[in-house]
Amino acid sequence: MSSLVKPLVEVHNLVKNFPANHGQFVHAVNNVSFTLEKGETLGIVGESGCGKSSMGRTILKIHEPTSGKIIFDGDDITNYSRHQMLPYRKRMQMIFQDPYASLNPRFTVGEIIEEPMIIHKMGTEKERKIIVQNLIETVGLKPDHIRRYPHEFSGGQRQRIGIARTLALRPEFIVCDEPISALDVSIQAQIINLLEKLQKERGFSYLFIAHDLEMVHHISHKIGVMYLGNMVEYGFSDDVYKHPLHPYTKALISAAPIADPILSREKQRIILEGEVPSPLNPPKGCPFAGRCKYVTKQCKKEMPKHYEYDGRKVACNIYAPENLEKYSQVGKTPEQAVFE
Amino acid sequence: MSLLEINHLTTEFKTAQGVVKAVRGIHYRVNKGEVLGIVGESGSGKSVGMLSLMGLLASNGTVTSGEILFDGEDISPVNYTTKKEKKEYQKKMQKIRGNDISMIFQDPMSYLNPIVTIGKQMTEGILYHTKCSKKEAETRAVELMKMVGIPAPESRLKQYPFEFSGGMRQRIIIAIALACNPKLIIADEPTTALDVTVQAQILDLLRNITKESDAGVIIITHDLGVVASLCDRISIMYGGDIMEEGTVNEIFYEAKHPYTKGLLNSIANSQVDHREPLKPIPGTPPDLIKLKDECPFAARCSEAMEICTKYNPLTTKFSDTHSCKCWMHCKDRYKEVVKGDEAHE
Repeated sequence: MSSLVKPLVEVHNLVKNFPANHGQFVHAVNNVSFTLEKGETLGIVGESGCGKSSMGRTILKIHEPTSGKIIFDGDDITNYSRHQMLPYRKRMQMIFQDPYASLNPRFTVGEIIEEPMIIHKMGTEKERKIIVQNLIETVGLKPDHIRRYPHEFSGGQRQRIGIARTLALRPEFIVCDEPISALDVSIQAQIINLLEKLQKERGFSYLFIAHDLEMVHHISHKIGVMYLGNMVEYGFSDDVYKHPLHPYTKALISAAPIADPILSREKQRIILEGEVPSPLNPPKGCPFAGRCKYVTKQCKKEMPKHYEYDGRKVACNIYAPENLEKYSQVGKTPEQAVFE
Repeated sequence: MSLLEINHLTTEFKTAQGVVKAVRGIHYRVNKGEVLGIVGESGSGKSVGMLSLMGLLASNGTVTSGEILFDGEDISPVNYTTKKEKKEYQKKMQKIRGNDISMIFQDPMSYLNPIVTIGKQMTEGILYHTKCSKKEAETRAVELMKMVGIPAPESRLKQYPFEFSGGMRQRIIIAIALACNPKLIIADEPTTALDVTVQAQILDLLRNITKESDAGVIIITHDLGVVASLCDRISIMYGGDIMEEGTVNEIFYEAKHPYTKGLLNSIANSQVDHREPLKPIPGTPPDLIKLKDECPFAARCSEAMEICTKYNPLTTKFSDTHSCKCWMHCKDRYKEVVKGDEAHE
C-alpha cells in the first residue's frame, strides 16, 4: 500500500441504496473504501446478500452510486454520464458468474468475442478476426471453436469464452463476480490458473468476488470481508486469512469446511447463531452486533469506525484505541483480553 | 448384515440423442449408524444412483440391471417388468419412502410447496405412514422443529415457506426427513445452496443427528470439505462408475486412483503455499452417450495407458474397506478381460 505509485482504482466511502416499496431503501453497500494497485487482486468475501456483487457493479458504474467517490486511474468517474464513461468501459470489464446466462445463445463464439470490439470501433474486420483467433488460443480453446454456438460447450469452456470476450478490449481492471462458483471442482482450478496466468502476463487488476474462502485466499493479495453492505475487515490476504481480527471474519473462516479429515475434526468451529439482519432495515449500530458474542452497549449504539490495527482496517469496537489502551494496561493483546 | 446393499446397479436414460448410461454397474453398502459420502462432479451419476434406489427416476429412465437389498428385503425394480407389476412396485416404494428411507434435497427454496403451511407439510408424512390423530402429528412436528433448532415452533406451524430463511427451510426439510424415524437418510447436496456460516450450522445439525440415531446416512456432494468432517466412508464417482472407495482416511491420505488424487490436488489448500499455482485436472468430463466400455477417466488421465482407452479396469482391493478401479493397480490381470490375439501383443 505504498503512496508513491498511483493506485488504479480508489473507492472512498461508497454507498449504494436501491429504492424498495413503501419509500424504504435496500442498503446494499455502506461506506466502503479501498484501493487497488496495478497487477493486484482484491478478494471480496461475504455471504449472499452482503452487497459484494452490488459493490462490484457500482464500481463499474453499471449502478449509479448513491454517494462516495470512485477514482479510476486518477480520474473521478463517480458522476460521469454514460457517454463520458464510454472510453473507460474499455478499460474496466467484468466476468460473470453464470456462464450459461451470460453468453448470447444465438451468436457464434467468434461473434460473441468480436462484439465488444465492434461496439468500441476497434480495428478493421480483418484485424478483429485475428484478435479473436489469438484470444481463443489464449484462453485454451481450439481454433475451430470459433464457428460453434455456446450450447455446444461445457460450463468451464463457456467461462473461457466469457474471459476471452472480456480480454478483447484489453482492459486493465476486471471485476470477476463469482467466476468459478457455477463450475465443477476439477474445472475451477483450471479457470483460476488461467486468470492468474493472464494477470502475470498482462498486469491486470482483479476485483475477485467469491464465497469460497480457500480460493479467495489463494488468488488474492488483499481481502475485504463484507457483512450487510459494510466492509468489516480489509487487509493483506495472509493476515486476514490466518489471523482474522473481526469476530465475523473469525466465524466465517472457522466455518469453512477443510478437505482434510484429521484437521477438520480437530478444528474448533465458531457456529454463529441467528441470521443476517435485513438490509431493508439494518440495525443502527454494528450490523453484526445481534450475532456477536463479544457485543457491548457501545456496539448497538453506533456503527464502529474503521480502526487501523495490525496493518489492516477493521470495523469493530474491540480495536478502538480506548479499548486497546485498556487491554495494554493489564498487559494483554486484544486476542488474549477478548477472545480467550 | 448391511442396512443397504446395492450390487451392480445400472441405470439408463433414453434421450433424443441416444441412450445415456448414467450409472454403470455401481455397488455400495451402508451399515446402521454409518455415514457414507458419495463424491462426484455434475453428471457423474451420484444423484441418479440414489433416485434409482428410491424408485423416483424420470419416465425416460430405467434400471436395467442390479440388485438392491434394503434391511434384508429385495427392493430391486428389475424384478417388476409388466405394467401391473410396476404399479405394485410403486405401491411398495410408497410405503418405504418417507418412512424407512427419507431424503433431504439440495434446494430448500424449491422443495417446499409455497402455498401450503409448514405445519401441513410437516405432518403430511407422519399422517400417511403412522396411525395417529392430527393433534398427535402436530405434537410430533413441534418436537421435530425443536430438535432441528427452530425457535418458537408452535407459532411457526401456521406460517408459509416464504416466511423462513434458506437455512431455516433446510432445517424444516431435515425435520420432515426425520419425522418417521427412518432407518436410512439420503442427503443430496444438503448444504450446496447455503452460505458458509449457515452451512456450518446445518452440518453441525446433521453431525448431531447421525450421532444420536443409529440410522444409516448417505451424503451426496461435490464438496470434499463436507465429506472430510462428516463421513465414515467415501465413494468417489466419475462418469457413472465408482472410481475408488474407502474410509475417510484412506481416501484423503492414501488415495490410489488418479482421479481422486487429481481432485484432492485441484482444491486450494491453506496448508500449502498459496502462491503456488493449483494443479487442475485437464480436459472436461466425458459425454455419457459416447462413452463405451473404456475407463471413463482415461481421456483426462495423465497416467493413461493403451488398455485404459479400450477396457474398463478391474477392481483392486487394498484393504477390507479400500478398493479402486484403475489399470495402474491391476496391470497383471489384463488377461481376464483382453481375449484372443490382442492378449499376445
